Amino acid sequence: MFEPVFLAQQALNGLSFGALLFLLASGLTLVFGLQRIVNLAHGAFYMLGGYIGIIIATMTGNLLLAAIVSMIAVGVTALVVELGLLRFVRGQEMPEVLLTIGVMFVVADLCLAFFGGDPKTLPAQASIQGAFQLGGLTYPWYRLFVIAVAVAVGIALALIQSKTRVGAVVRAGVDDREIISAMGVNISWVFTGMFVVGAALAALGGTIGSGVLSIRPGIQNDVLLYALVVIIIGGLGSIKGAAVGAVLIGVIDAFAKAWIPEFAYFTIFAPMALVLVFRPTGLFGRTA
Amino acid sequence: MTRAQKLNVVGFAALIVLLFAFPYLGTSGYQVSLASTVLIAAILAATVNFLAGDGGMGSLGHGAIAAAAAYGAGWSSLQGHSITMQVVVAMGTGIVVTLAYGLLSMRTNGIYFLMVTLAVGMVIYGLAYRLSSVTRGENGITGIQRPEMLAEPWAFYLFVVASFLVVTLVLLVVSRSPFGAGLRGVRDSESRMRSLGYYVPAFKLVAFMISGTIASYAGLLSVWHTHFVSPSSAEVHRSVLLFVMVILGGLGTTLGPLVGATIVVLVENVVSNSMERWPTLLGVIFVLAILFARAGLVGSTAKLVRRMRQRRAGAGPDDAAELTDVPPTSGTTTSVRP
Repeated sequence: MFEPVFLAQQALNGLSFGALLFLLASGLTLVFGLQRIVNLAHGAFYMLGGYIGIIIATMTGNLLLAAIVSMIAVGVTALVVELGLLRFVRGQEMPEVLLTIGVMFVVADLCLAFFGGDPKTLPAQASIQGAFQLGGLTYPWYRLFVIAVAVAVGIALALIQSKTRVGAVVRAGVDDREIISAMGVNISWVFTGMFVVGAALAALGGTIGSGVLSIRPGIQNDVLLYALVVIIIGGLGSIKGAAVGAVLIGVIDAFAKAWIPEFAYFTIFAPMALVLVFRPTGLFGRTA
Repeated sequence: MTRAQKLNVVGFAALIVLLFAFPYLGTSGYQVSLASTVLIAAILAATVNFLAGDGGMGSLGHGAIAAAAAYGAGWSSLQGHSITMQVVVAMGTGIVVTLAYGLLSMRTNGIYFLMVTLAVGMVIYGLAYRLSSVTRGENGITGIQRPEMLAEPWAFYLFVVASFLVVTLVLLVVSRSPFGAGLRGVRDSESRMRSLGYYVPAFKLVAFMISGTIASYAGLLSVWHTHFVSPSSAEVHRSVLLFVMVILGGLGTTLGPLVGATIVVLVENVVSNSMERWPTLLGVIFVLAILFARAGLVGSTAKLVRRMRQRRAGAGPDDAAELTDVPPTSGTTTSVRP
């Protein structure tokens, strides 16, 4: 139970799950940071992205192509939702969130209609085979690949946010919508763009994640729970917070599943409760 | 008494008579059982409605509170406890869970509140699913009996009707009390209430406890109705549907929960027989309601009637006495972090 190999394996499990959580939570937290809404359809976008990714991967055997197609397809779905629905209730917090609930219902149910109820996973030919060996430790390459993808995405997001003009516009939008639109930026298109990017990140998470967790009906709620807990801990709107929260929850969850499986769900609740009691805005959230 | 008030009283009296008379109108056993389901859902939706309408706190965790109470009853019946003991255990479990929700969420508002209740609800689902030594896991707990007195379906139905009316009355009284006024004050502006010397978290906690205690009672009723509880009753889906009922019926209205519960339960139980994609239908109805009838069916109808009456009477101020109390358009909005 406490052998070094076992510990290392669980730590890696935690990190790779945390990496997946980061892909999920980053999109959610970015959209929140800008638009002040929690997109409850995020889990459904993850699910849709996972299904599309699996289908393309089965057809072509190419994971990169699968990820790109699923990101585009889910991005277009999000664009339709944003332009067709969310724009009509812009700025009204509760109706916006409730609309995303309606979208979640519809997307999840149509996924069930099109893709069936059986759990699906990434086919072997598109996945990365084999395992990494070091002393007594054997670990699948694919999970290390998930960690690498999440690190790359995290660095890319941080760089875009801090170094580019687009990032500057987004940061300005977070700080003061009125001023940025007075300066000639069409803020509602920035909102739309961010919503689409957030959904595409969920789709990337779904495609990559389908090699680790199978995609099945109901997965949208599971991943949404984890993503919510991660951003509650990290602080809404903060990429850094999402990264810290994701690793924390990933590692806690992995060890809890190994040591106290009956309470596995409960253990992610404890850190969230502590954060809420001592710092209601999350570790990296802005205080009022 | 104004004319509008008289109409309202007559309407309510007619509704009460109809509810009590329902089993004697040549309805089948299935229809009476369905009506019990609707009313239990309406009680639960009324608790969500109270919290969201008066307190501005949109909860996505009430389904799980009810499920916790139902599991309390189930566990207690497995231990062979008496009915009284089962009721005590069920309500106790529900109230303890409510307290956990309340303590975690009382310092949050708006979206944070929604997410905290959502997350706690999901944790309860997880416990129901995984803690199989207590909950029997996926299979759930069966064979939970209701008291002898209520064994007959019609007797149980009448009991549920009475419960619904009492709960509606209690929530109406609480909402009209000084406490209710304070709660609406918190909804409209926390900082104002704080500067007036109120301790805002206490208001929220008490409101949550009232709402959660009634939700636990609804959970007990539902387990008496179906004799069965499984993890699916704690699913997020259930809590979301409660919110759908509240919005469809009309946030902050007295009869909204009943109207919303009727629509949702019928779609779920009757339409689903002929239409496989009923969740899509429900989602579409929900989206349309948010886009076009924000005040819900009851709220929008009240608004329409008021407008027509005004046109006829030439904008008379006669509508001040409305039984429904519709909050400003978007309902539960309070900015998250100003």
